[in-house]
Amino acid sequence: MKELVCIVCPNGCPMMIEDMGTSIKVSGNRCKRGEEFAVSEMKHPMRTICSTVKTNFPKVPVLPVRVSEEIPKDKIFDVMREINKVVVTKPISIGDVIIENVLGLNVNIIATSNILKE
Amino acid sequence: MSGKVFERKLNQKLERYFPGRVSVKVEDDCIRVSGQLDNWEDIVRACSMCVSKDKRLHVVNDIKLMGTNIPVMRIPKETSKELEGMKPDVLIIGGGISGASIARELSKWNLNILLVDKESDLAMQASGRNDGEVHPGVDLNRGSLKQHYVVRGNQIYDKICKELDVPFKRRGQYVGFKQRHLLPILAAYAWQKKHICGVTDTRIIGQKELRKREPELNDEFAFALYNSSAGCICPYGLTIAYAENAVQNGAKVSLNTAVLGMDVKDNQIVSVTTNKGILYPKLVINAAGTFAEDVAAMAKDRFYSIHPRKGTNSILDKKSAHLVKSIASIKTISRKKQHTKGGGILRTVHENLLVGPNAIETYEKENFATESKSIDEVFNKQKLTAKELSKRDIITYFTGVRAATFEEDFIIEKGRKTKNLIHCAGIQSPGLTTAPVVALDIEKMVIKELSKTELVTKNEKFNPIRKGIPVLREMSSKERTKMIQNNPDYGIIICRCEEISKGEIIDALNSPISVPTVDGIKKRVRPGMGRCQGGFCMPLVSQIISEHENISIEEVKKSSSEAYITLGETKGGAIC
Amino acid sequence: MLNYDVIVIGGGPAGLAAAISAKKQGANVLLIEREARLGGILKQCIHDGFGLLRFGEKLSGPEYAWRYVDEFHQRKIDFNVLTYVIGIEKLEHKYLIRVVNTKGVVEYTSKTIILATGCRERTSKQVFIHGTRPSGVFTAGTAQAYTNILGQLPTKKCVILGSGDIGLIMARRLTLEGAKVCGVYEAKAAPSGLTRNIMQCLNDFDIPLYLSHTVTRLYGEERLQAVEIMKVDESMVPIPGTEEIVECDSLILSVGLIPENELAESLHVRMDSKTKGPVCDDDFMTSEPGIFICGNALHVNDLVDYVSESGELAGKAAANYCYESKEFVSFKIGKDLLYFVPQQISISQVSKPATLYFRSSQVLKKAAVTIKVNGKQIFEKKYSYLKPPEMETIKLDMSQFHLVKEDTLTVEVKGEKV
Repeated sequence: MKELVCIVCPNGCPMMIEDMGTSIKVSGNRCKRGEEFAVSEMKHPMRTICSTVKTNFPKVPVLPVRVSEEIPKDKIFDVMREINKVVVTKPISIGDVIIENVLGLNVNIIATSNILKE
Repeated sequence: MSGKVFERKLNQKLERYFPGRVSVKVEDDCIRVSGQLDNWEDIVRACSMCVSKDKRLHVVNDIKLMGTNIPVMRIPKETSKELEGMKPDVLIIGGGISGASIARELSKWNLNILLVDKESDLAMQASGRNDGEVHPGVDLNRGSLKQHYVVRGNQIYDKICKELDVPFKRRGQYVGFKQRHLLPILAAYAWQKKHICGVTDTRIIGQKELRKREPELNDEFAFALYNSSAGCICPYGLTIAYAENAVQNGAKVSLNTAVLGMDVKDNQIVSVTTNKGILYPKLVINAAGTFAEDVAAMAKDRFYSIHPRKGTNSILDKKSAHLVKSIASIKTISRKKQHTKGGGILRTVHENLLVGPNAIETYEKENFATESKSIDEVFNKQKLTAKELSKRDIITYFTGVRAATFEEDFIIEKGRKTKNLIHCAGIQSPGLTTAPVVALDIEKMVIKELSKTELVTKNEKFNPIRKGIPVLREMSSKERTKMIQNNPDYGIIICRCEEISKGEIIDALNSPISVPTVDGIKKRVRPGMGRCQGGFCMPLVSQIISEHENISIEEVKKSSSEAYITLGETKGGAIC
Repeated sequence: MLNYDVIVIGGGPAGLAAAISAKKQGANVLLIEREARLGGILKQCIHDGFGLLRFGEKLSGPEYAWRYVDEFHQRKIDFNVLTYVIGIEKLEHKYLIRVVNTKGVVEYTSKTIILATGCRERTSKQVFIHGTRPSGVFTAGTAQAYTNILGQLPTKKCVILGSGDIGLIMARRLTLEGAKVCGVYEAKAAPSGLTRNIMQCLNDFDIPLYLSHTVTRLYGEERLQAVEIMKVDESMVPIPGTEEIVECDSLILSVGLIPENELAESLHVRMDSKTKGPVCDDDFMTSEPGIFICGNALHVNDLVDYVSESGELAGKAAANYCYESKEFVSFKIGKDLLYFVPQQISISQVSKPATLYFRSSQVLKKAAVTIKVNGKQIFEKKYSYLKPPEMETIKLDMSQFHLVKEDTLTVEVKGEKV
């Protein structure tokens, strides 16, 4: 029996999940997404991470980025290491892919700001 | 009383209070107290008991404090040979209000002047940590050096501040009394101050008049002792202005420079060792604040001692400034003779209220840490001055340490044993008020001394006028627009609490004594002094300093070389 | 001199939404922003979680801001950046606003003004932390600006005081950048930030949260070297004897946000001591006719979605405002509410859904918010949980109650204390 708080939406429903062997019992959620979150937290927790990448534009030393989809929670620091290797040298826009399919996880690292285009 | 009789009487007194632990010897015009005591308060008491009415005799504290290590003077980490071999005519030790004002007056002459200070900026100790009051001198006793200088000092402030372009406001001072029966006593006191001591603006104001002028003070005040000449100034602003004018007129200032020792031969200072090299000055001025005694010892001319006394002030949000329009405090007459610095409430020249200070004896000269009980103590007292005073309006607080001698008066005289030395020591309140005229007297002493061996000529190019950094927010729209059209950086507001522009920050970086740190900029143009205390502007100021000085952001410091702000870039790696 | 119908002060999410909404109503709009770029604080909030309500997506701050900045530019709304308001003067049915920028001092007039000036952070002095004055003490927003805008790491080992959202976000951000967060200390007995942030910023990284603790002293002459932590009682007063020293090179403060209302106060608008923002009505107008308020300057929100909503409503109201006199009924706000906005309702015969915002002053379960007119209940909403860090909002058409000036309008919350 595990207690957790759902992070899918601002409601932050406190939930209880129990591994019944063949299935997982979820209580406390107010919607389907909460139930899905609870199950995935038990089996393979996923997270989004947001960070910055270095640029070589002196007026904009770093550019904000994030993952395009959730990644496994245990891969957070590995993905951060990849993000930290990047130096952006061209002006890029929101949504542009900076690292394609990072670490083979089928997830891209995308830019979240248009600052280089302003 | 002869020296021997006096010495015997003192030893009897000391034996009564500290049996077997301390004793005194009167010799060489000094009252040397020695022995061992277990706490600093006892040492202060013992030495204070030995103070003589004879102005020439000073107490020298040679009592060992048992069980506690007195912290050593903090010195900068950097060492160099930058000043090695320099032979200034005058070496001024200390970049507070004393040293800076002396440097400026001496720059009226063709002299090679060097001012050194161990801190990363001027006015980092007492001169940058006081309430900025320009005193009328109504609380001083006749016969002291303090009283000798205070009225003239107060009077000269308008002239000095005009020349140095430093804001000065004569707000007036009220000392309020609740006890109506004290009126005749205070009336006599006021008469004495006015007619005998020369504090000619002293008078008594009745309750009705007081309520009209300061409606938010305690309505129980029956009357107040009033002095119209009291004023307020930014003490570090004045210190910097004095030093800049000195530099403009040829003097040199070296910061991060600590005096570590001296070579004294045949009663002359031959050389002075600093962390930036050995200097060979003709004359040395000891304006070293709480370390004046240490410098005197290095110069083999120690005939007084400093017992540091710290005080804490709070600054309130400008929104509460309406409570006090001038400078106000409450006085209760008690039989106890305490070192009052009961403090008061003062409206600063920047239009904030300043509340404080208190006074606590300490052996730690450089412990500027604040304590909550100091703030509480001061607020509890000052709520009696203005009932609506609230700690919730506090935006910042700071502590300073006063350099007090046991005689509680200044020491302004030539060295007694060492000939090429002048002491400007024991400068505590009203040291800010007296500095402009003390500096003139020291100037005379220096010229007289140097003239003994050579011809000293006047600096024909001396310009007493120093222009400060323009304060755009105080200008009319027309003036301000003109300034901005000439320099668009004046139109970019960086500190939005105090409305300070990028242009003004860059002016500070280009000033004659530029200190390119966050605190150096803060002292000169105020970003970070408002209600958000630098929350928004610190990164912007860091960036401006980085661009101007051509250094990376992580090299921009808060104050001293070890006070780094950021640790380095967050990223780095393969090109994309 | 240029004249406008609406001048919006502040180009963050509230101001952008207000300007767009006013322009959509056909008003002639100018937006004034003191920074070099639009977007407000969102520019440095690079984490996601923004826009779940508004767009149904989990966006980062800059992406959320871009949705509005893009629309703002598409609508060709006038704007000035690096422009700072130095004064506002009340004229007959309009306002004179004086600004300074690289052109000099410039004046505009406008029929209405919308204040969208956001908030600032509470400082260490305001929570009475004593000791020395070393470098290394940052409010969370300042640490965030160094990290996310200047790309500089402010710390390698830090203590965070305050469990407000910004502190929690920075705990995660700094951990991702390789710093060690020794712990998050909170003086209250319950955390201040959103529960989901406790989970994904602290629990995910095994960062301990210490409730009923505070930082009392700083150590370090030049750079911070350690802080003193003390346990506190229910009144948040430090308990003597519980001192503990934690070595660190940084103290990050997340001890509350204060709405920025210097301009509002200079116009003598009535203020609410509970929100620290101006009193306003259901049109987001302050007590001064023609001065509107929205976003965090009105009250501190948790979700930017509500900030945008308030901006949108304020913009629409300002655009349609003509200086007719309105009558109001004020809310009597129950003491179990931390605050309630708007503090007064304009009496209107026309159907007008009002958007109401409030926070409970303590954690309650099986709670209910009730609105009564002259003692009679006219509205109730039930909640399984109400928590101070989580602001609630209700949409209610107040015109259906046919209020008159003499009515007593009360709002209260009740529930089981947890």
